[in-house]
Amino acid sequence: MANKRIELPQGTLDLLILRTLALEPQHGWAISERIQQISSDVLLIQQGSLYPALHRLERRGWIKAKWGTSENNRRAKYYELTKAGRKQLELEQDSWKKLTAAVAQILETA
Amino acid sequence: MFNDLFFRLRSLFRHDTVESEADTELRFHFDQQVEKLLKSGLTREEAVRRARLEFGGHEQLKEEIRDARGVNLIETLFQDIRYGLRILGRTPVISSIAVLSLALGIGANTAIFSLIDTVMLRMLPVQKPEELTQVRIREPRSPNDEPSPTFTNPLWEALRDRQDFYSGIFAWSLTQFDLSQGGAVHDINGTFASGDYFSTLGVRPAAGRLISEADDRRGCPGVVVLSYGFWQEHFGGEQSAVGGSLSLDNHIFTIIGVSASGFFGLEVGNKFDVAIPVCAAGIFDGPKSRLDRRSWWWLNVAGRSKPGLRPEQLEARLGVVSPQVFRATLPQDWEPKYQQDYLKRSFDSTPAATGTSYLRRQFTQPLHILMGVVGLVLLIACANIASLMLARASARHKEIAVRKALGASRARLIRQLLTECVLLSTAGALLGIFFARWGSSLLVRYISTGDTKVFLDLTLDWRILSFTAGVAVFTGLLFGVLPAFRSTRVSLTSAMKGSQGAEGESRAKFRPGKWIVASQVALSLVLLVASGLFLRSLVKLVTMDVGFDRNNVLIVRANLHNAKVAPPEQPAMFDEIESRVRSLPGVISASRSVMTPVSNYVWNSGLDVDAPNAPTGEAALAFFNFVSPGYLGTVRTPLLAGRNFSDGDTKTAPRVAVVNETLARRFFPNEEALGKYFRVHPDPGKQAPPIQIVGLAKDAKYESLREEAHATAYFPIAQITEDAEEQVFELRTAVRPSALVPSVQDAVAGVSRAIPLEFHTLAEQVDDSLVQERLLATLSTFFGVLALLLAMIGLYGALSYLVAQRQPEFGIRMALGAPQGSILRLVMRDVLVVLAGGLTAGVSISFAAVGLLQKMLFGLDARDTLTLLASIGVLSFVAFLAGYLPARRAMRIDPMVALRYE
Repeated sequence: MANKRIELPQGTLDLLILRTLALEPQHGWAISERIQQISSDVLLIQQGSLYPALHRLERRGWIKAKWGTSENNRRAKYYELTKAGRKQLELEQDSWKKLTAAVAQILETA
Repeated sequence: MFNDLFFRLRSLFRHDTVESEADTELRFHFDQQVEKLLKSGLTREEAVRRARLEFGGHEQLKEEIRDARGVNLIETLFQDIRYGLRILGRTPVISSIAVLSLALGIGANTAIFSLIDTVMLRMLPVQKPEELTQVRIREPRSPNDEPSPTFTNPLWEALRDRQDFYSGIFAWSLTQFDLSQGGAVHDINGTFASGDYFSTLGVRPAAGRLISEADDRRGCPGVVVLSYGFWQEHFGGEQSAVGGSLSLDNHIFTIIGVSASGFFGLEVGNKFDVAIPVCAAGIFDGPKSRLDRRSWWWLNVAGRSKPGLRPEQLEARLGVVSPQVFRATLPQDWEPKYQQDYLKRSFDSTPAATGTSYLRRQFTQPLHILMGVVGLVLLIACANIASLMLARASARHKEIAVRKALGASRARLIRQLLTECVLLSTAGALLGIFFARWGSSLLVRYISTGDTKVFLDLTLDWRILSFTAGVAVFTGLLFGVLPAFRSTRVSLTSAMKGSQGAEGESRAKFRPGKWIVASQVALSLVLLVASGLFLRSLVKLVTMDVGFDRNNVLIVRANLHNAKVAPPEQPAMFDEIESRVRSLPGVISASRSVMTPVSNYVWNSGLDVDAPNAPTGEAALAFFNFVSPGYLGTVRTPLLAGRNFSDGDTKTAPRVAVVNETLARRFFPNEEALGKYFRVHPDPGKQAPPIQIVGLAKDAKYESLREEAHATAYFPIAQITEDAEEQVFELRTAVRPSALVPSVQDAVAGVSRAIPLEFHTLAEQVDDSLVQERLLATLSTFFGVLALLLAMIGLYGALSYLVAQRQPEFGIRMALGAPQGSILRLVMRDVLVVLAGGLTAGVSISFAAVGLLQKMLFGLDARDTLTLLASIGVLSFVAFLAGYLPARRAMRIDPMVALRYE
């Protein structure tokens, strides 16, 4: 079960969280579930890194939090993207694409 | 930015809400996860277990969230402070010892620094002090000497009238005035002030008006401005004082006003009581007034240059006026070669924002040395507290391990421990400021002598406060860093097991403690050596043969000028007083002279002898005293050969002199000086009469105890060539000298009631000349003993700790049959190692550093072996004493009790 998973490169967690929240506001658990699902269980986000990351993003003003009710009727903290966050997401997506393209190019040609 | 701040503040002030929100959020996540696992078919029990495993430490995660939110820095600071206070309160004795020794260390540093600040660094309390510059005179003949700050009145007037680049320029001169009109002298501090003095300094009147240009004209009437303090003290601050009168040196002056409070003049260490215009010097001097004397140097000059004039431009302008001013004031009666030198002199400008100060000249070096001394004491105190902290940190071993296991990061723990240290040092600093206030005023009283009361405004300013704050933080970190880093390096498993660690580990743990104690020993040795050197210098100065006997001599200074006795009548009156005091009961012998030994007064001139290799220049300089026949006998300077003066050596008799050994040796090497003749360098255009040497006296100190013997000549006071309107009587007494004051006053009043008298003892006068030496010796000894005490406590503490740690080991050794003596040796070996290391380091530091002290020492080398050996001996004795108590405790350990501890 563990061996098909890979470690997230430094700094990509923020990007993934921003991207996930771009669709709709989510609570923490849902964010980690969504990333795991979409990546076909390759990426597993540890709570130990998820929550500090969420609070850090909130402090930077890229996401904001408000309390809501979950599907099973419990109080949950929902995070949503702010305007600054949306801009940041575009920036990071852009540089990520450039980075992966460059890395891919090197791997293929070298 | 704003968002960030808001966020942190919200976290801080809504602490509980934020905490519970984080809890709720994490709880929700956990439950969701359990739900999910349940759905996948696990039992509830298994699902919870798996979720918990995945989740990791709940508290640790919360701590990381707090970090991510950036609350921690501020919030944990408050937490740490609260916790630190609680911890420190739990060991009140240790904490108070720590605070007290820090307070002593910080207090001593602050006290010395506040003196340095007030004497050397602080700006004058006048308008824009940074714009003030003092004018000085450069002497081309001795370019390496500091330019001279003193002016003659003609020179000052010529400069004032020939310059246009100062917006204000003024002259002043410090002096003392006698308030009494006969009887016991009541001296107060006076200042001559030129017309622009107060206006240039921007000082306002508190009552009446201040001296202005109109008051400072030749032939001016006597007007006086009081200082605020003097006005309060002598006139109760009454407005009616203005317009009243005051007698200064027996001349009546009219009070025109009072200067604002807080203004003490320009001399740091001295506050003026009264100010009178420069022109008033004419009132005291009579026709031969110093106002027109071209070689009477008595004024200082300072000014405020015109706006926009840069310092180098000011220097250039001064350079331009210099030749004109010096040409206009050339002293006509000087020898031509000195006149040439005079014309080459030029003005120089130096910043005067901090005023002038004789204290600065006299005490700069001692204060710097003392600053070093108290710095060392503080370091030793820090070392003590560091080993204390180290010991306590190992006692808190378990607490730290538990906190770490609960998820505290190492950085967090270090911060907590450092906070405790800074708390200690802050408490120490607050207490230290009180010590400093008390200590520095004590110091000021200490450096005040009978003649000169030192006045310093010791109010705390920002510089002193920031110095203290800086020292507090620095010391807190200094003694906190090592223990904090060491004690947080805990292996969780061994700590939780409950043992203090294996035996090997505990030995290793003592090593930093050893270092600390060894460095204490080293620093203490440096202090002991320094204090030993100062103490021995002082003892040498006090006990050496000075060539006169200072005990039981009363000195009475009588001023016939201020008594308004005409000069021709003065000799007879002085004679009359001398014979009256000689016959007083309790007086063994009495004499009179113009000088007394070590009195700060000097009368010297060059001598000519008829010999091929006669000394010239500096070497031909001899120091004079004019004395009555009883003088040498009264001060007990032995006459070695020839005769003393007698009543036959009158004004009209042939000129004679008694010279000391140094004069005889220098001017008449290889031959008998008795019966030979010499001449004093004559005034220009005059002939000097030959003077015959009739007696040879033993060398005696003339100016200071530190001097090499000066070539000295004594002349009969009846043959004095100049007016000496103030003369001194020496009375050797059979009783305590001061007990004779009333009868002397009565005796002099029998001659005239108008004569002002000033009383001292010769012993006081000699003592006062040793203020510097006594200050250094007393304080460095005090701090040396303090350092020794601290080092002793440090060593005792460190060894007690070591013995406690090795108790099981000692128990085993003794159970296996080791004799008590071997245990004692084991512990004492540690003492020896620490001592040897500390002493070696201490000796090298001493040798490297004591060279700095050489100038302050007298009669011994800074590397004096005896002092060094004595210091090492004292320190070793104290160290073994401190080590013996814990060693004895180790020796008496009951093996059974010791082993049960394991």
